[in-house]
Amino acid sequence: MKMFRTLLFLSLISLLTLSGCGDDTPVNSTVVAATYKDLNADYAPLVLNPAGPPTRPAQKNKYTFFNFATGAIIANTDSATTKWDIGFRSTSIIFNSGTSGPGAAGVIVQKDIFDGVTVAPTAGYTTDNYNKVTKTGTFAISTSPFVDGVTTTTNNWWLNSGTSTSTIITPIAGRVFLIKTADGKYAKMEILSYYKGAPAVVNNLTDLDRYYTFRYVYQGDGTTKLN
Amino acid sequence: MRNTFARYGLAVLLLCWPKIFSFAQSTKPDSIKTEQLEEVVVTATRNERTMGALPMPVTLISKAQIKTMGSLRLNDVLTEQTGLVVVPQVNGLGNGIQMQGFNPDYTLILMDGEPIIGRYTGSLELSRLTVGNIKQIEIVKGPSSSLYGSDALAGVINIITERPSGKKGSFSSRYGTNKTLDLTGDLSLANDKVGFYAFANRYSTDGFDLSPENFGKTVSPFVNYTFGTKVTFKVINSLDVSLAGRLFNEVQDYNYDVSSNGKSTRSVGDGRVKDWNFNPVLTYRLSSRAKATARLYTTRYATNSIYTLLKTSGADSTSTIDSFTQTFTRPEVNFEYFFNEKHFSTIGAGQTLESVSTPRYGDEKKNQQTLYGFVQHEWLPIKELTLIGGVRFDKNTIYGSQLSPKFSARFRLNDIISLKGSFGVGFKSPDFRQLYLNFFNQAGGGYSVLGSEVVKEKLSQFEALGQIRSYLFDPALIGKLNAETSTAINLGLHADFSKKLKMDFNLFRNDVNNLIEYQIVALTTSNQNIYSYRNIKQAVMQGLEANFVFAYNHKFSSSVGYQLLFAKDKNVDELIDKGEIFWRDPVTLVTQRLKSSEYFGLYNRSRHLGNFKIMYHNKEQGIEGSIRVIYRGKFGLGGIDGNIQGETVPPSDRNGNGIQDSYDSFVKGYALVNVSLAKQLRQLRVQGGIDNLFNYTDPVNISNLQGRILYLSLNVKFVKSTNN
Repeated sequence: MKMFRTLLFLSLISLLTLSGCGDDTPVNSTVVAATYKDLNADYAPLVLNPAGPPTRPAQKNKYTFFNFATGAIIANTDSATTKWDIGFRSTSIIFNSGTSGPGAAGVIVQKDIFDGVTVAPTAGYTTDNYNKVTKTGTFAISTSPFVDGVTTTTNNWWLNSGTSTSTIITPIAGRVFLIKTADGKYAKMEILSYYKGAPAVVNNLTDLDRYYTFRYVYQGDGTTKLN
Repeated sequence: MRNTFARYGLAVLLLCWPKIFSFAQSTKPDSIKTEQLEEVVVTATRNERTMGALPMPVTLISKAQIKTMGSLRLNDVLTEQTGLVVVPQVNGLGNGIQMQGFNPDYTLILMDGEPIIGRYTGSLELSRLTVGNIKQIEIVKGPSSSLYGSDALAGVINIITERPSGKKGSFSSRYGTNKTLDLTGDLSLANDKVGFYAFANRYSTDGFDLSPENFGKTVSPFVNYTFGTKVTFKVINSLDVSLAGRLFNEVQDYNYDVSSNGKSTRSVGDGRVKDWNFNPVLTYRLSSRAKATARLYTTRYATNSIYTLLKTSGADSTSTIDSFTQTFTRPEVNFEYFFNEKHFSTIGAGQTLESVSTPRYGDEKKNQQTLYGFVQHEWLPIKELTLIGGVRFDKNTIYGSQLSPKFSARFRLNDIISLKGSFGVGFKSPDFRQLYLNFFNQAGGGYSVLGSEVVKEKLSQFEALGQIRSYLFDPALIGKLNAETSTAINLGLHADFSKKLKMDFNLFRNDVNNLIEYQIVALTTSNQNIYSYRNIKQAVMQGLEANFVFAYNHKFSSSVGYQLLFAKDKNVDELIDKGEIFWRDPVTLVTQRLKSSEYFGLYNRSRHLGNFKIMYHNKEQGIEGSIRVIYRGKFGLGGIDGNIQGETVPPSDRNGNGIQDSYDSFVKGYALVNVSLAKQLRQLRVQGGIDNLFNYTDPVNISNLQGRILYLSLNVKFVKSTNN
């Protein structure tokens, strides 16, 4: 337990240090291309229960918000603003639009190579449409794993490469998120890892989960050009 | 020539290919029986046929071969055959046989033509079956025979047991590594009218431990007993009565740690298995051309396990009782008619009554009935050509009616080469587990697995309690399950170059539809998954099997067997063609499109399987020996929920596409070397051997592969009269 707390502390430190210091390599002034490492999506240590599934009593149940233009984390208190584009909490991903926020954000999940997508479409973006009260509707991105042979109306972004009792969350290779930001700009994103430090081989007993590593390209001039 | 073959002692070879029999001989089964005991096969047509005359791919393993290998249990024998792999099942519950890439569920295991039951987790535990009373084992690949049921999509393994013959008896004992002791005795008392055969076997072992760092053994100590008896009686010249029975009893002691969520709990208890069967058969010869057979087969399998999970600190221990009882009864009549030398028909009908009761399938007993009928016709339009056509009709109480046609042909090109081809359609209705399972796994994280017949009702109960958070699968499709179907084609070439060299090639292709898989259907409010089953996959399993036997001289011979297999999910192939499957390098995190050639295929299937055997048999000096090398090529693992000790098996997929491709990790290929040496001293036979000579093990990935085994066995034979 103590170790977890230390790790959590360390991860918060590293989060602060890493924020905004991705390897920016803009092709021109309006384009940001970066990799964001270890975004903390409500990490909390697992507590094993003698009866029933393990729980995470320390989790805050809050989304971690991200803004593509600045590459920065946005405070959760700003959830009702258009300052954030995308939010992460555990395997759940939301966009600032529809039932999730006041913005104009949306997403298209394209089966492609990240570098191969150079132009963003202008239409076809899906927004969140989930009613918390009636528990109806769907999010643009599903929180559940992709399962072979199953077609769902929402986009799955991960698959379980572990077992039914010991899940390993692996982002599906070749899923490019084409994103419209809260203020109507275009970006693309690819999730690379769900575990801290993006380990090549995940050990879900020792590696900390709910840490997103993703790469993205943001076009700040309002055009659809994504390279 | 076959007699010469036998005299040379080549019956110990992996495969013996008899010279092709003329039809005139094969229409007189009785004469074949007395003349050519070792090479007659009954599985494919249910009538005695010489192997070479059959149009289906058939492998025969004789008693002599089994003795040379020094084997004790059925899995020891099958694991050395070309194209067969003994694979551990999920959670270590049973080791089944993989044939032509099919999972163990799809191979029918018969004893004297009647199915062995007790497929607790889908596969049949092969170590339940002793080889002591086996006369020969026949393996027919592909669903090409219509006589045994349509659910054998992969094929049929028929164990032919000893029949009363003469007045003789034998006693064998074998002792070896892990305190494994096998005691076998049999007795035959027969004259022309009445025959009696009795058999008894006791097998005990201390088990084995592949991971000494964990408390408890990989396989716990167990002891089992098998008793068998067969009585034959010639009532009148044209009427034969045969009664056969078998009883099996096993007790295993458990004492090991179960790990779950990284925490281990001591578990103690015992597991008991009891099964018996009874099989009376009446055979009536109406004329020299017609024969009618009535048979009844009834069998029961029961397993009962008590596990007590000991709590570490003061808390109460919890005991779990797991039981599973299955019954199977099948009356069948069939009628065989020889029209003339060119036409022969078999027609039959029967009914299968099955029941299962286990707490896992709910409180009440579950029943299933199948009515069936079949027709099979053999036609020899010309001397060189044999055609067999058949059709089977099954009417199941749950799955309705199915018609499965089969067709096979053999053409003798010349004295050396003959060609074989067979085509068959099989179907397998969902088993009791897939229909009725009602399982909640508390220890494993609180997930539920519900069979297709109970899932809808259970989900509505959850829903009424407000416990469903979301459906993860189209509710309209939940609980809908179709029978799995397969279309199989086998094309073979058999070449026989004098006595020295024999070759067999068989190309196979199985197109399987509606394969049943687990499916998450819903998520509860406490984030527990609810699983059920659905038809997901379309798979194709194709490849080549080749066998060569080469006799150097009267004493030495060698054989080589090889299987090439491509077992693929058709949906994945389609997605790769569309460019929708990718792989991400886990180190550089760079993603690339997967090429068709980089898709390795289904998990747990090796592309290459092989064996190489050298056999020595000196009849004059009574010495025989063997060196056998069994190779299994690399394969991937996925979807396995841990091995027998609950250790997590690292899945092979590590690059974000959920399939096995050439960039994933693999379980390494390996070769096992087995040697044996035996000396016959009058009635006494002394044999020593080493299995897995180089002590190859892989505790995490291959939990059924125990280390080196040394053994010594003694066999005594008593023969009073040899009228056979």
